[in-house]
Amino acid sequence: VLTFEFGLNWGKFAHDVGPIVGVMILMEVVMAFFLEAGFLGLLVYGDGRIGKRMMMFSTCMVTLGTTLSVTWILAANSWMQTPAGYKTVGGQFQPVNWIHVIFSPSFGIRFIHMLVAVLIASSWFVAGISAWYFLKHRHLPIARRGLSIALGTLAVVLPLQGFIGDSVVAYVAQYKTAQFEAQEGNWKPNTGYNILELPNQAGPANNWQVTVPWLGSAISKDWSGHTAIPPLSLTPKSLRPDLLTTFYGFRVMWFGWAGMIAVAMVGVVLRLRGRLYTTRWFHRLLVGLVPFGVLAVWAGWVLAETGRQPWLVYGKLPTAAAVSPLHTWSVIASLAGFVLIYLALLGTYAWYVARAVREGPGDGPLAEPPAAPTLRPGLTGLAPAS
Amino acid sequence: MQLSDAWMIFVFLALTMYIVLDGYDLGIGVLTLLDRDPGRRRDMHELVAWTWDGNESWLVLLALALWAGLPLVTGIALPALYVVLVPMLWSLILRGLAIELIDEHDGWHRVWGPAFSVGSLLVAFCQGAAFGGLLAGLPASGSDFAGGPFTFLHHGYAVLTGLSAIALYVLAGCAWVYGKSDGELQLRVARTGRLASVALAVGTAASWSLLSSAGSATLHTGAGAAVPVWIAGAAVLAAGLVLVNRSFSAGRAFSAGRAGQRSAWAPAYATLAVYGGGLLLAGGLLYPTLIPPHITVHAAASPHTSLLFEVIGVGAMIPIVATYQIYAYWVFRGKVNVKREARVT
Repeated sequence: VLTFEFGLNWGKFAHDVGPIVGVMILMEVVMAFFLEAGFLGLLVYGDGRIGKRMMMFSTCMVTLGTTLSVTWILAANSWMQTPAGYKTVGGQFQPVNWIHVIFSPSFGIRFIHMLVAVLIASSWFVAGISAWYFLKHRHLPIARRGLSIALGTLAVVLPLQGFIGDSVVAYVAQYKTAQFEAQEGNWKPNTGYNILELPNQAGPANNWQVTVPWLGSAISKDWSGHTAIPPLSLTPKSLRPDLLTTFYGFRVMWFGWAGMIAVAMVGVVLRLRGRLYTTRWFHRLLVGLVPFGVLAVWAGWVLAETGRQPWLVYGKLPTAAAVSPLHTWSVIASLAGFVLIYLALLGTYAWYVARAVREGPGDGPLAEPPAAPTLRPGLTGLAPAS
Repeated sequence: MQLSDAWMIFVFLALTMYIVLDGYDLGIGVLTLLDRDPGRRRDMHELVAWTWDGNESWLVLLALALWAGLPLVTGIALPALYVVLVPMLWSLILRGLAIELIDEHDGWHRVWGPAFSVGSLLVAFCQGAAFGGLLAGLPASGSDFAGGPFTFLHHGYAVLTGLSAIALYVLAGCAWVYGKSDGELQLRVARTGRLASVALAVGTAASWSLLSSAGSATLHTGAGAAVPVWIAGAAVLAAGLVLVNRSFSAGRAFSAGRAGQRSAWAPAYATLAVYGGGLLLAGGLLYPTLIPPHITVHAAASPHTSLLFEVIGVGAMIPIVATYQIYAYWVFRGKVNVKREARVT
């Protein structure tokens, strides 16, 4: 759907950045998407038709596919954040140096940030499900292993993500000053740090804000408390990103991270005391906080994308100039249809995941794959003769 | 030959792969609308259950090959065909979801069955309509589409090509099921397949004869290097249609042994000829135009630096992709459920 949307709703964008962004998304498809889809099919339906080694190989190929996918998607998106290595010919961006295009200034750090982010989100999810099994006293061997591996991973990568995230903010402050000003939500230079606020897009001040003194200077690495965070009033009105989405996109992401790191550290303490598998309040906590990981990733993307506004290609191609010449009603109808279908999809997906989790992985030996959708025996010649 | 021509060949290849592969599973979707027997429907669902998303990945490739290599075409054609392409995407999502959930017997399977059938039917229609709209011409100014939401209809011409696409995909679905099944199911698809081939012949003839009055297309019927191509295409298409109609004879396939097995696949091979002929015909008529009346391959192509990168990248990857796709087909080879008791779990 996404590949079509680029052209359907963003026809001008499709024409202008096709030679750069289009090419990178194409590479994503031929290198990653096909690999992932092909071997996922083998992994899910191939049970009994392929051997254990092939299963393992398929798993590795799916992993490779998803990693390559992150690489190319982040390369394409990072170029839109910090365009490099191109020239414009009649409004169209054309590559001059592919190395500069792919390794645009923000690519490296954003790539690592995203890779670690999805690792955190999935570990968090696994931890939550394992905790739920503990609460229900089911599938305990898998629950033990799941919780242990997930929390172990989290205890290592969450602190790491703190440093990586800080470097991402450094790139934002350098290349996307308007976003940096907006995500900190100040109208006047502020040595304090805004925890919460109700922003007022028109200015000249927020409706209200909760500020911790000194902290703003501290995160700018000035412990004396004199360095102020630059305010949004430095950016001309027409170039200011939306305050609400950038400010809270940033807050949800890093508050989520802070919450997860606290919980993970409690988990480490419990583990060291040998009480990780028996502390029920901790299991309840993990189950209750399951959405945190995905929420943080999602909020980060809201921040990055709304923070780039009013540009599609930062500083070069305004969003308003990149849309298709469509009838208003076409867009309304298509949006309404997609919202409906995605709601149905989300509902079905939630139901399906909930059922798969409830049914559990089957209490056989660990090596056996989950019995989820292998409900399709029946290609004769391969099915056991009867 | 320029790099843009090489890329055009690749786009053409992706289009071919897509309509050949997804064509049969969309056709099977339409077939399940016609068959009320739950057992046969389930057999047909099984035939598409594990391949549909692999087949549809060629559509993604096609869309991206157009975007990356011929951005002007994407920028003009997609907004112009908005009214059919958006419902096509809805239907693709719906039928994908439906086929995954169709065998979950939990009260909702009464919804997913028809959703899969109707979704497949709509996808087929929308694709045919989009093709017809493009063939008859789309007005443009600069790099923007310059028409209304229903310009592509060309007074109903797109409806005709939409219906023809349904006939084509049903034919392909019949040919595939015919090779993959036996017994009652095979007999039924043979009948439907013969009907579909007649419908397709009528549809193609009508689309052909109405094309010049429908749109602003300047087709290269008179001169140029492409003339032998479209004439050959038309000949192959006609021969394929006759062959496919003849080859659906359930009686021969019933005779066991290798000869019977071979003739069970005859309709599928003949359908390939229909596809090949049709594609050559359309390509020969249009080339070097991509969006009639004015947009040509060379005007629409990405700059040399982009195309070179794409040709190298895709050229290196396609053999690898083909290898594991063929491997996947090989793993899941064989006929659909002949012994029903083997499935009772």
